Amino acid sequence: MEERPTFPIQGSGPKHRSKLGASGAVSLSLPVPPIPLEEKYPKFPDSQQVSLESELMTNPMAPRGSLVTNNGVVGHIFSSDSGLSSDLQFSSVSPHERHSRNAPFISQLSNSGASLPLSPSSHSGPFHSRVLSQYSEENHDVSWCTDPLPYLDYPLQEWTDNLITDDNTLGANWIELPDDNNTVDPEPKEVYQVPKPSSNFSVPQPQVNQQLSVPSGELCPVASPPSSVNGAPTKPRMRWTPELHERFVEAVNQLGGSERATPKGVLKLMKVESLTIYHVKSHLQKYRTARYRPDSSEGTSEKKINPIEEMSSLDLKTGIEITEALRLQMEVQKRLHEQLEIQRNLQLRIEEQGKYLQMMFEKQYKTTSDKLKASSPTPGDPAAPSSDAVPHSPPKSEVETPEKDCAKTANDAIDASAVLHESSQKSGGKRKAPETRPTEDLEPAAICKSSSPSTKHARVDDTSISSAESPSD
Amino acid sequence: MKFGKRLKHQIQETLPEWQDKFLAYKDLKKLVRLTSSAPSSSEGLMENRKAEVGFIYLLNAEIDKFNSFFIEQEEDFIIRHKELQQRIQKVIATWGPNGTQSSEVDYREEMGKIRKDIVNFHGEMVLLENYSNINYTGLAKILKKYDKRTGGLLRLPFIQKVLRQPFFTTDLVSKLVKECENTINDVFPAAEEAERIGEREAAFVPEQSIFRNTVAALVTIQELRRGSSTYSEFSLPPLNLADSDLIQSLQVHSPISIL
Repeated sequence: MEERPTFPIQGSGPKHRSKLGASGAVSLSLPVPPIPLEEKYPKFPDSQQVSLESELMTNPMAPRGSLVTNNGVVGHIFSSDSGLSSDLQFSSVSPHERHSRNAPFISQLSNSGASLPLSPSSHSGPFHSRVLSQYSEENHDVSWCTDPLPYLDYPLQEWTDNLITDDNTLGANWIELPDDNNTVDPEPKEVYQVPKPSSNFSVPQPQVNQQLSVPSGELCPVASPPSSVNGAPTKPRMRWTPELHERFVEAVNQLGGSERATPKGVLKLMKVESLTIYHVKSHLQKYRTARYRPDSSEGTSEKKINPIEEMSSLDLKTGIEITEALRLQMEVQKRLHEQLEIQRNLQLRIEEQGKYLQMMFEKQYKTTSDKLKASSPTPGDPAAPSSDAVPHSPPKSEVETPEKDCAKTANDAIDASAVLHESSQKSGGKRKAPETRPTEDLEPAAICKSSSPSTKHARVDDTSISSAESPSD
Repeated sequence: MKFGKRLKHQIQETLPEWQDKFLAYKDLKKLVRLTSSAPSSSEGLMENRKAEVGFIYLLNAEIDKFNSFFIEQEEDFIIRHKELQQRIQKVIATWGPNGTQSSEVDYREEMGKIRKDIVNFHGEMVLLENYSNINYTGLAKILKKYDKRTGGLLRLPFIQKVLRQPFFTTDLVSKLVKECENTINDVFPAAEEAERIGEREAAFVPEQSIFRNTVAALVTIQELRRGSSTYSEFSLPPLNLADSDLIQSLQVHSPISIL
């Protein structure tokens, strides 16, 4: 039903390939001019770009997965995808499908000889640039489709989940959400979209007729994909919270208990927007299992028969030993939990600093290069540090290199703080970890203050360089 | 290769249902190698490109896998947590000292069961946190390798994306873990025999696999952070774990009963 006759189906080659070709053709019909990669590069670290990139990368899986596992229904998915490609009004859809054309269909794109103007250029970065440029040169058909890449056996379900979710055109096979998707769910529930972060997809390319003003909140419920895909609705990935579960339990109790409650009834009673019957159904199933076999679901399977447990009710001494063993187990678990928390926080901090310094150095680079462009082409500002030497090289050179140098300098600065952290960590042991954090905070803060973007980039250079160099002395 | 081995070890020790849910580190490494292999011909170049795309592709597939699994487990935990709370209330209300059918024996028995269940529940949640963390670590490492070998700058933005993924935002699980600990402290009397812990071998640990997995996880963390040859600004500092000897001894002696 979703067959949109907006593209010719090339009958050559295996079935799936022809579909690939078809969709490839469709995507190329979109008016995307070849945007030089260098322009796009500065946007690379932007989280939105990253999300688009992830779009690029995840969506290819959808058609691929379906190709591998479910040939019969591929047409459906594909047609819906490509059908939507022609309708650029579906803002939430366009980045999806357009990106879904990229990776696996690069062969077809190369066949058509396009210069790959795909919007991924906005977020492609160096690796992609290499890919694209190479592919535009090569004209032979890549046996991409027939490559038995092992991970193509990944379950279809997860990938169909990645398909356009807010896709009203897919019509009848979808459970229509009763509520307007535009309303933000007031409940403390997270309905997330993998792998989109909760930021806007605003692709800064006016030439691409995409209205990407849709916040991911609208896209939210990862509603079940068309049930015709598998015959059975795939489990939508919604993130439950305790509060939501409370409401669920209340609703179930009102309906007379977990056995008597029906998913439909519960759904109605809960009155939570963007909650589908599939969510409720699966949750109800889990709930029933948990009630009637307490803690013998997931993980603790019945195989783990515990003879000691039976003995404990007979022998008090063994009971004490059991208790002790449990205490020991608990201790170890608590310790692991502690360590994991600490580790996670460290990881977050490290990346935060990295990102922060990277951004800073980019700003520095930008202001410096602007300054260079504005002023006469003197060999260099006497105050300019080594990291600025690179932008003096021909402006047309790949943006990569200066970026990398900036990154390296950024890394050096991070190294400084990491070393600082490490030494304080060593001296204090893990318990001191929380106290070392303020020290870390000072570092970026100090660098931050000196980096007020307006005019003081010269000072930034000096400060950052000095902070980068001093610990390595 | 160190991480690869450790990861493999973790996977071996983990709960059976989890074994295929971990990061496909080896596959990713292969792809990185293929991506950066010297192309001898146009076919070789094509291989590189394919591997590159495949790499990104697999990365995202893995992330999706983590997310699905994690969210599913999280949902289960939410349900079980509530159920445990209710169970405890019920037992206290029925067989407790002030209960309707106050019975010391029954109370003790039921509480014993609950205690075991709640400790295992706690353990599973912590293991899920570990799962999240070790996969994150693997991703960070493989991205670093990728950048190093291909000269790309994929790592930074990609890892930013990863940080926001559901499987890494473990706050809810963490909260449940803490609530669990509080419940245990409240409901179960503090143990008097703390000093015996060091001597007692883990001979009678009820839930072997959870316990073993937990110990393995701790050891892995410790070793991973022992210090690396490629220490960089993005590396974690070495771990300073008290009672690390105890943990080591537990690891050696724990597999006593037969699974």
